[in-house]
Amino acid sequence: MSTTDRIFHSRWWLPAVSLVLGAIMLAAFAIGGNTSDGLQAFAVMAGVAALFAFGASRSETLGGLGGPGRDERWAMIDLRASALAGFVLITVVIGAWLYEIANGEDGSPYAQLGAIAGLAYIVGLVIGRARG
Amino acid sequence: MSRQTINSIEKERYTPSLPLAIALARYFDRSVEEIFHVDH
Repeated sequence: MSTTDRIFHSRWWLPAVSLVLGAIMLAAFAIGGNTSDGLQAFAVMAGVAALFAFGASRSETLGGLGGPGRDERWAMIDLRASALAGFVLITVVIGAWLYEIANGEDGSPYAQLGAIAGLAYIVGLVIGRARG
Repeated sequence: MSRQTINSIEKERYTPSLPLAIALARYFDRSVEEIFHVDH
């Protein structure tokens, strides 16, 4: 198993990412002058971290999502769920852009978000094609 | 490989990748064709 695989299969990988995201949220809220909401957001992410850290050994679902129990089937489930989430998000962004346009607005920021999503898709195609 | 994945393979709800299929066949000391069947 490579070093990268060891990291992603570690039971601490997803909890660590959750805590880092929680810290980033707290910092963002604090910069915006709303530290209390930031602390709540950090608490939620700390709860998620604890759930994966201590729940993965008790639940195959959490283990599969979190890392230790992740096999090829869970990797495929995660990939398909990510694709569905991306598709839904892009659809909502396009719908919101069209709504803004129909109301005489310039469509920001939905136009930019949609453009980023389109570029990301093209990059994904190029990378996928290059890898064979 | 998780227990859920084994269960899914047994119930033919999940088709394993070629490397996994070969690994399973070797584990049971059988050929891949003896363990997995493709319905046309």
